[in-house]
Amino acid sequence: MPRFSLSAVGADRPGIVAGVSGALVDLGCNLEDSTMTILQGYFAILLVVSAGSSVGVGDLEAALAPVASRFDLVLTVRLLGDAQLPESGGLADAVPWTIAVHGADRTGIVHGVTSALAAEGGNVVDLSTHLVGSSGAPVYVMTLRVTLPAEPDPAAAAERIRRAAEALGVHCTVHPDESDTL
Amino acid sequence: MPVRPVLVLPHPVLVTPAVAVGVVDEAARSLAVDLVDTMRASPACVGLAAPQIGVGRRAFAVDVTGHRKARSCHGAFVLFDPEVLERSQPELAREGCMSVPDLTGDVQRDGALVVAGLDPEGRRVALEVDAFEARAVQHELDHLDGLLFLDRVPGPHSVFPRKVYR
Repeated sequence: MPRFSLSAVGADRPGIVAGVSGALVDLGCNLEDSTMTILQGYFAILLVVSAGSSVGVGDLEAALAPVASRFDLVLTVRLLGDAQLPESGGLADAVPWTIAVHGADRTGIVHGVTSALAAEGGNVVDLSTHLVGSSGAPVYVMTLRVTLPAEPDPAAAAERIRRAAEALGVHCTVHPDESDTL
Repeated sequence: MPVRPVLVLPHPVLVTPAVAVGVVDEAARSLAVDLVDTMRASPACVGLAAPQIGVGRRAFAVDVTGHRKARSCHGAFVLFDPEVLERSQPELAREGCMSVPDLTGDVQRDGALVVAGLDPEGRRVALEVDAFEARAVQHELDHLDGLLFLDRVPGPHSVFPRKVYR
């Protein structure tokens, strides 16, 4: 069963999700993982859909064309291959951590923190940012869920990432994601 | 000038650990008055820590009187050099902060605790707090360590804009 990535972005209006999902239902597609949210007044959809074996990119684009036109959406559809996780990255054994960053907005906060993360062999699982505050004093708030290699010392790696963030002039805290299975 | 401006992100005092008050003197009592007056001047504000009004001292005010989520309620009180003696029962709930006016977040806090410190008369007191009062106390204690609720959220999907459109 082929799987496709689908992204759509347009000025936020009521009915976008209903319209996009309706076109997908009519084509017999199944919405798998999705992220949909408002970014600075634009509604952004990113999802993975599975479809019948006869469905191709052109079919999806044609089915979505009316809703894309109606809501003035920038739409992209791509056929996905099988996801292949890097064998050597130790991602399966990695441990989850949460990183919180906030401070005066400046260029390079995301790049600085994620570069420090990559240098530790860490991986971004989930990330969101919010630009808030006033136009004269903009504040950047970033929260990440990441994984860090289980060996040799994820706490030390997390501390190095925290220091790299602080070197950018923003406040940063890191803590392991702990959960109890009940 | 009892009602003071409340500092907002990214003011450096908000991310700097506060220092102990030590002795409750006139300056400390004046700080206590400012904390309570500023808290009362702000609608829906149930707690305020000294760093939020630009004072890097370990002091906070809390008043959850009349709040629908409150169980224990000690009225309006100020504690200097507070410390947690006992804690229990973590609970997740959404909270906001006058120093982070644009966002809210889901934060896990202990549902009950015993917090001790000095009152404005310099007497050592210990308060048993639970539910919303316990959450307010822990939120203010974090301010004294230079931490905001943003530093406590469990992940990216636990931070929420108060208003989507501004």
